[in-house]
Amino acid sequence: MSEQQAYEPKIVAFLCKWCSSAGSDLAGVSRIQYPANATPITIPCTGAVSPMYILSAFNKGADGVLVSGCHIGDCHYIEGNFLARRKMQLIMELLGFIGVEPNRFRMSWVSAAEGAKFAQVITDFVEDLKPLGPQDKLRKAERA
Amino acid sequence: MINIQDIRDTARDMLAKGEVRTVIGYRRGSRGMPAEPAFITSPEQADELIWDPTCYHNLSLYLVHDSKIQAHLRKDTGAPIGIIAKGCDARSVVVLMQEHYFKREDVYIIGVSCEGTGVLDERKLAAQLNGVQPTLAAFDGDDFVITTAEGEKRLSARDVMADRCLECRTPFPKEHNAVFGEDKTGRQLAEPFAALTRFEAQASSERWDIWSHHFDRCMRCFACRSVCPMCYCEECVVDSITFPVTAQTSAAEKADRVRWIERSATRSENITYLLTRAMHLAGRCTDCGECDRACPVNIPIRMLNNKMEREAREKFGFEPGASIGGSSLVASFLDSDPGEFIR
Repeated sequence: MSEQQAYEPKIVAFLCKWCSSAGSDLAGVSRIQYPANATPITIPCTGAVSPMYILSAFNKGADGVLVSGCHIGDCHYIEGNFLARRKMQLIMELLGFIGVEPNRFRMSWVSAAEGAKFAQVITDFVEDLKPLGPQDKLRKAERA
Repeated sequence: MINIQDIRDTARDMLAKGEVRTVIGYRRGSRGMPAEPAFITSPEQADELIWDPTCYHNLSLYLVHDSKIQAHLRKDTGAPIGIIAKGCDARSVVVLMQEHYFKREDVYIIGVSCEGTGVLDERKLAAQLNGVQPTLAAFDGDDFVITTAEGEKRLSARDVMADRCLECRTPFPKEHNAVFGEDKTGRQLAEPFAALTRFEAQASSERWDIWSHHFDRCMRCFACRSVCPMCYCEECVVDSITFPVTAQTSAAEKADRVRWIERSATRSENITYLLTRAMHLAGRCTDCGECDRACPVNIPIRMLNNKMEREAREKFGFEPGASIGGSSLVASFLDSDPGEFIR
């Protein structure tokens, strides 16, 4: 291989503070090895994720966006993840519609006890993103 | 067949009795064939009203304008506003009431059924006429009669109708106080979402090629936003007025502000704008097609909204503008909503 570094996708992960964020913590304290490509952003609930966050993340250079929250029925705010399920499905369909690769956006349910699952979700996501290469469809053009 | 005289008589009567303060309708425009919105405030003016295939405007936009003016003046509105509404327009009015933008008693809906046809698509008509300037359009059964400088021309409505009218499922205004024309719900000239389905049959990369071309051309004139009755936010995410830039605003302050979408008309920002708009209209757009018509560079904006409408219908069984008491798409959910895409 040349001196050029292998491509590492950048992932922006919106994690619910009540579960997935704690789940990522558990993965850490359990010393589970998983790729360091994800930048976690703690959010109060997946229901609070505006589709704008996702568009904005892509706009500002994310190669993939992950939204992760509590399993259905476990929401701290009772129904936040139900609302997220609808909204995220809509934005996912819209992105696919204009021709963005479907693998660039992902949603998962990871509870605070599922550190191993969190590591798996990130590992799979990175693996799926690598063949797609850098995301330049929605990315803001570099200023000259 | 709708007799325009009936609509005029209704408007005149109501204005004379003071039952409405204004009737929003259509009158002959000053640009040749197309009708223009008319605000009839006195009984004598009622004869100006017309109804023809160029009445494409969604007049519920002016109900939004009126509500904003009333809120600004802090005056009791008194009598309701009369509005001439087609099927799609009446659904827009319902969505606005669903969102408590105004109350049912503030509006008097004079419904008009599109019956067997719909409204003209000026672009399709221009292609048919080969450069001849049309001066008048009229309904005649399943045809449109177009008057041009070279005489009258009879065209099958299907050939020059707007796509959304061909695909329209409810050409009859369900919510109304008075209604003209026959209820031809179920006439279905084309499959619902036909244009969308045709587009979606293409591969992802082809879709991107087409859309990126459109996104490149958007010049952010915001005509789509101005013409949309659902885009009524006092502050739009693209132009923040909460934090105005004044002479005192320091460079550091400006740099620290969250800019969800920059105002420059570059591809990435145009995508964010148009997709955000589509998301904001999901479950609210009633497919009146005004954004498509208003776009000066012919971006098929309606297709984005149409996509959201179909997803909402197929995945969540949601129909925008179905009833005043109904819940909104993204503020409600069902236990049975699909979730297979979630890992």
